[in-house]
Amino acid sequence: MALNILVVDDSAVMRSIIIKTLKLTDLPLGDIWEAENGQKGLRLLQEKWIDLALIDIHMPVMDGEEMIRHLRENDQYENLPVIVVSSESDPGKIEMMHKQGATFIHKPFKPEILKEVIIAITGVSNEGKD
Amino acid sequence: MKAKIEKVLEEAAVNTFEDICFMYQVPELKDIQNDLTVEAASEVRYRGDYTGSLLIETRGGLFSAIAANILSIDNPSAQQKKDALGEVANIICGNVVTTLGRGKLGYKIESPRPLKKDELLQENRQDNPLAEITMNFNEGRADIKFFVDGDFVAREKKE
Repeated sequence: MALNILVVDDSAVMRSIIIKTLKLTDLPLGDIWEAENGQKGLRLLQEKWIDLALIDIHMPVMDGEEMIRHLRENDQYENLPVIVVSSESDPGKIEMMHKQGATFIHKPFKPEILKEVIIAITGVSNEGKD
Repeated sequence: MKAKIEKVLEEAAVNTFEDICFMYQVPELKDIQNDLTVEAASEVRYRGDYTGSLLIETRGGLFSAIAANILSIDNPSAQQKKDALGEVANIICGNVVTTLGRGKLGYKIESPRPLKKDELLQENRQDNPLAEITMNFNEGRADIKFFVDGDFVAREKKE
């Protein structure tokens, strides 16, 4: 199964880094969608079929915490696998993300780490790819 | 504590350049790149148990190379170069502040800010960094300085 992925980060450079790293994981990727804040991310979720969301915490308009809260309150997305990618250091915030069912990846990260986490939370694998 | 922060700064900088920029240090270039002048700089301020900033300066073409590598493009725009350098500074800073204080408050890291030449001279005049590292790459040189506002050593002893 190819994963359709949503990348939400206010930094275009960071979105490029995440997408580049995703491609290096060698996992089967479908469409990759980008949003610059939580509000646009939620809109894309309504419009597209998305299997996994990678979300930053600190963003204008709607931050990652609020976006994840909206996801968990909505029956349609309450089980959507979410990875928070951030350089956040506040243990309280990180704990809160875990409680909301999100997995935390600290920047910088290697493709191997991202791959490991994606496999763990989505069950997808690259066996049989190609 | 100072030694610990120096070690964490070095680890964070090396990991960020390797994992995000796909760049690896070439220490043998140290003498050759000694006299290069600063081409760009970016600053990130942090607030929490302590306040301060992280400053990154690039020399010898590294400014453009960072953006080119991160974005996989040949000719990054001026804005892309600034954003890429800022993101590198942001990530390194986020990793270093975790070692400061007891983490009671967590840290708020502000958006990166490109520095103009006169601001850079001012920064360097006013403060001595708590930790600093110079990194030499085939693409140029980076100098990264981590500042803590106030007298860090005295405050550490007191606490």
